[in-house]
Amino acid sequence: MEIRNILILAGKETRESLKNRWFVLYTVSFSVLAVLILSIAPGRNEITGISGYGRTAASLINLVLLFVPLIALITGSISISGERENGTLQYLLSHPVTKAEVFAGKFLGILVPICFSISLGFGLAGIGVALRGGSGDAAEFVLTALLSWLLAASLLSVGFVVSVFSRRASKAIGVAVFLWLLIIVLGDLGIMGTAVAMDLGIKQVFALALLNPAEVFKIASVLVLSPRFEILGPVGVYAVRTFGREGVIFILLSVMAVWTVIPFACAFLTFSIWRREES
Amino acid sequence: MIEIKNVTKSFGKLKAVDSASFRVEKGEAVSLLGSNGAGKSTLIKCILGLLDYSGDIAVGGIRVKDHPKEAKSLIGYLPQEPLFYDMRTLDIVRFFARLRNVDEGRPAEVLDKVGLAEHSSKYASELSGGMRQRLSFAIALLSEPMFLILDEPTSNLDAHARAEFLRLIKDYKENGKTVIFSSHRLDEVDYLADRAVLMKDGRVVVDEEPHRLRQTLGLGTKMNIAVPDEYAALAASALSGAGIIVHGRNGRGFLVEVKGGDSLHPLRELMSRDIPVLGFSVEEPTMENILEGADRDGN
Repeated sequence: MEIRNILILAGKETRESLKNRWFVLYTVSFSVLAVLILSIAPGRNEITGISGYGRTAASLINLVLLFVPLIALITGSISISGERENGTLQYLLSHPVTKAEVFAGKFLGILVPICFSISLGFGLAGIGVALRGGSGDAAEFVLTALLSWLLAASLLSVGFVVSVFSRRASKAIGVAVFLWLLIIVLGDLGIMGTAVAMDLGIKQVFALALLNPAEVFKIASVLVLSPRFEILGPVGVYAVRTFGREGVIFILLSVMAVWTVIPFACAFLTFSIWRREES
Repeated sequence: MIEIKNVTKSFGKLKAVDSASFRVEKGEAVSLLGSNGAGKSTLIKCILGLLDYSGDIAVGGIRVKDHPKEAKSLIGYLPQEPLFYDMRTLDIVRFFARLRNVDEGRPAEVLDKVGLAEHSSKYASELSGGMRQRLSFAIALLSEPMFLILDEPTSNLDAHARAEFLRLIKDYKENGKTVIFSSHRLDEVDYLADRAVLMKDGRVVVDEEPHRLRQTLGLGTKMNIAVPDEYAALAASALSGAGIIVHGRNGRGFLVEVKGGDSLHPLRELMSRDIPVLGFSVEEPTMENILEGADRDGN
């Protein structure tokens, strides 16, 4: 596998993403809403004890949870299926590149613009906080942005899984939107419902939360931002008391890394072995 | 050299390519002939390493199964229907130039060579079918590959664009490069190919020089020869006596079939008997005749 080829392919993918009007709309919407959130979330939150950068970052978490999984899942889902459907994938593979280079190049080339738009939103909000006096810890603000990158990477991997299994881009988008609903909208409800229906203990509920990358991102972000982990509820209290604050953050980061690596590996193996002739 | 040894490719129970074997020597142009579904495109995809297969394919001495990337770097490929990213023409060529690690000046050079220099700022979607074909050819030429593989290169072109395109391929071949192309047109085979490989149901049924292909399949050249009415009976008996198949009369003319490639044989025969010839026309076997011949041979 040649890094040079991966970078060439990633560069092309990034340029195409930045020209894509949906991606531009997404970036503009995310940035505008980030700035709006800044303007309506001033001062210190007495319950969480978060202020300034931290307060803005906490407000951005919900925006990230809404936007980042949606764009990551959709762009991931059409990455391979779209090229396969319009015939350009086979033509690309007739050139001296390997499937691994194409796959890695595509992943990197899509992830970079998503991280760019996240950074733009956080950056504009950060500049706003700085102009207003900038209380709180800027490092926590940056950490939340980095966690958002990880969330994007993990859901992009899931999107790639959808893509390699889909023959048509339209079907892949449908599955991606369904997954987004499942992960974001029904995620909390699912955990609560399962906990009640199966009479789960606090330990099991924490384990269940780790199955949802968006939930993992949410818990990790709150732990990074807030000195008061009690706001996470009994599950958060249990986790912090059992593993310690740093221990939980480490577990959560590891889970997000696993959510990135395992789906990516599954998608790649499917693409290169099982469905290798469907390009 | 490209060496194809006992290559078989199946899709489920269907054998798209069945024990195909042939060699293409350096500097040779070989045409893959056959009707739709004969296995030409599938075989081309096997050579490019895009499909799994049993058997062996070596490109320039490199086994495709073991080193597909290295093998592909020796090949310039033109697909049947060129499809491109929605980018400007020059940007598309630059992208593939980077992948093939060629000089920065090369994209402009190949676009100029195929006559697309003035369209380099257009998006691929704005190009006509012929222009897209030429763009694909420009990309295939980028690294000056040893081997050029063209899958029905002129199928979407009008007569003018086709003639122009064939000239480009001919130039390339005359520079000592090796060309494999699939085609439905016999005139293209005659113009470009040193050898014709005829495929049927995935099998190689004939591997011959184009002019011998007709003989091998027992196909003759048909001629319409017009003689004055008063010589008609004499002409008919002279032609039949010389072993020439007379299919019948058509007005003043005779429709005869000449086998063995000597198209002038009937004319010589008539002239040797002082039978005046008012005119003649020659009708070469068509691709349909060739494919029918292959069907007869195959059955």
